[in-house]
Amino acid sequence: MKKVLKKALFVSLAVLVAAAGSASAQTTIKINGYGGQDPAIVGDLINRFVKPALAKDKITVVYQPLQGDYNQQLTTLLAAGNAGDVFYVPGETLDGYVATGKLLALNGVVNTTPFIKSLNDAFTRNGKTYAISKDFNTLTLIYNKDIFDEAKVAYPNDNDTWTSFQNKLAAVKKALGNDYYGACLAPDYARMGQFAFAAGWQPFDSKGKTNLLDPAFVSAFNYFTGLSKDKVGVQPSEVSQDWSGGCLASGKVAVAIEGNWIVGFLKDNAPNLKYGTALIPKNDKTGKRGNFVFTVGWAINAGTKNKAAAAKVLNILTSPNVQQYVLEQGLAIPSRTSLQNNAYFKKATPGAENSKVVFQGASSGTVRPYYFGNKGPDWAKPISTALAAVLSGQKSSADALKQAQQEMDTLQNR
Amino acid sequence: MLKKGQTSAAYLFLAPFLITIGIFFFYAFARAIYYSLTDFNLFNTPKLIGIKPYVDVLSDPSFRRALSNSLVFAVITTTLQTIGALLMAVALNNKIRGMAFFRSAWYMPSITSSVVITLIFLWLFQRRGVANYAITQWQTYLPYTLTLLGVLIAAQVAQVLWERARGLPAGWFDPALAVISLLIALAVTATLSWTGVLSVRDVAPYDFQYFSDRWISIGGARLLSIPMLVIIIQNTFTTIPTLMLFFLAGLQNIPGALYEAADIDGATPMQKLMNVTVPMLRPVTFYVITVGLIGTMKMFDQVAVIGSAAPQDTLITLAYYVYINTFKAGAAPVNLAAAAAIVLAAIILVMVFLQRRFISSEAV
Repeated sequence: MKKVLKKALFVSLAVLVAAAGSASAQTTIKINGYGGQDPAIVGDLINRFVKPALAKDKITVVYQPLQGDYNQQLTTLLAAGNAGDVFYVPGETLDGYVATGKLLALNGVVNTTPFIKSLNDAFTRNGKTYAISKDFNTLTLIYNKDIFDEAKVAYPNDNDTWTSFQNKLAAVKKALGNDYYGACLAPDYARMGQFAFAAGWQPFDSKGKTNLLDPAFVSAFNYFTGLSKDKVGVQPSEVSQDWSGGCLASGKVAVAIEGNWIVGFLKDNAPNLKYGTALIPKNDKTGKRGNFVFTVGWAINAGTKNKAAAAKVLNILTSPNVQQYVLEQGLAIPSRTSLQNNAYFKKATPGAENSKVVFQGASSGTVRPYYFGNKGPDWAKPISTALAAVLSGQKSSADALKQAQQEMDTLQNR
Repeated sequence: MLKKGQTSAAYLFLAPFLITIGIFFFYAFARAIYYSLTDFNLFNTPKLIGIKPYVDVLSDPSFRRALSNSLVFAVITTTLQTIGALLMAVALNNKIRGMAFFRSAWYMPSITSSVVITLIFLWLFQRRGVANYAITQWQTYLPYTLTLLGVLIAAQVAQVLWERARGLPAGWFDPALAVISLLIALAVTATLSWTGVLSVRDVAPYDFQYFSDRWISIGGARLLSIPMLVIIIQNTFTTIPTLMLFFLAGLQNIPGALYEAADIDGATPMQKLMNVTVPMLRPVTFYVITVGLIGTMKMFDQVAVIGSAAPQDTLITLAYYVYINTFKAGAAPVNLAAAAAIVLAAIILVMVFLQRRFISSEAV
């Protein structure tokens, strides 16, 4: 019995040693990214593009998705020294990661010139670029054509102003009554801030402070929350949904303010919904519209043992072929300037139309990166809390904004 | 006492425990104290900066909110669950048929995962949840329930008065008469419903947002938020059975003779509870309160599960404050988190000390 055990132990040890030996001949690049749909998408990219290109270099690439709260998990992995060689960095949380010293500055490692400048800027601090934008998104108006047809109201279009858009929503509500709503209004800075940009609000003044009592911000706040008057607009929770995409898919709501990520969701959850896309309406006074640029970048771990291999993988993942493939699959909007005139944007499918509008949104009016300043995600909380309080009728807009400003001051003075 | 050679054997057997507690408690605790005096952000080499993190933490409004939330939560929940557990233990200590079933049924909430129960509560109390639905239904059928109740009371009063007029001793809650009253009430309600006098009210769905920025304030000071109230209800519901078990065990040790003596003296059930049961259970009560206070001061999971579904101020507790300051995107103020954790530990220590000082743990 003892002999058998010893033998088994010996064999398993030998196998382990052999496995370790064979692995050392290969360089393995580990990639960390989101869960959800991303493992399938990135896995596909790895198989199609990365593997063939790196076969002779003996580089294996594995994708390890981080489920749940991505930032939290990546932070833990970075602190423990277990993070991937290459990983996603969300544009809005870049500063926290730069402060860790764990992001490799890509200057001289990757050529950034082929990428859209504003996207490079989103990942650049003090002249150092820390990530290459993977893709990007902006906000658009996505509307349910059947609801507008039924209500005999013209579709939202690119020339709409705040007032004309609001009138259209009110007309829809009036025509269709209690069971239908004009728009879904998520109580979130990320769905309301673009109106403030349009009105001329700057998130940070020269000293880095935020003024929520600025007339421009107040006017946008009141416009957004005012859309809920007479139940023309509802919060997603009021129609048992957790985001505006769900509202639109339910067929009860005429308009959602979302980005290109809604396309895949609608394809899966409301395949028969006829929808169109328009740009975010312009402010009546300034005649401008505003928008956010949401972006996620590829970064390299400063602690990687295989810097050259990691840079190779990053270059392939941001190459023109890969971005063209991703665009044509309708998965994301490319960050390369050269793809701006791609034939895909001229297609007549609702998904391609949405991509085109998302793309246009990035260069129409006042466009700012989705960014919280050096205090991180806590910065947006006072604004979102105020939106929720006013949209649900708990507080007047003036009270809510006064409290939000107080909270903002304490946060920024900390 | 121990013979030569026995000490080493004792240490050997204690070793697993000593090593675990050494690493995971003493070492971790010392390290937390060290971090709380440095500028550690999870990635840098810590540098000692004195008590600045403590000053920062104490002046942080969200720490103060967390402190007040934790204290309010601990006091209310501990009170409710201790009283609830005692009453339930007394009720389940009776010898009635099917007691084993009731004891297991009552214990169920305790063995269910708190994450699952929190999700269920989140679902019960969402805007289109069961709680709001039940209130809507109640309002819709209010004409029926009011009629039923009104007729029931009227019939009961009439019957009792009639019985008494005939010189019979009838109590207001006489069960036999109540059954007849109920039948009369049902019949009247059904008749009114058929004839169309009664109909359901058309009310808008009751739309109360439980997980929002609403507070119960006293003198302008925000004391208890509605989301926290939901967690208090939930926590009381899940902890009562565990604590009940301790009381139940304590009740077995109270000599029956005391109750017999009380019976002979003509004590009412209430008097027996207050003058026999409660004093005899004092050691158990002491333990239950201690465990309750420590548990509630450290409350974390429910808040973490609800997460961003409610505004952070309404739910933040000390343990949650420590957590959110440790795990951020990238560099995090871990020194503040460590300082807050030390403050939390100190508060719990003081609470238990005060309790030991002022509440006797001896049975009288």
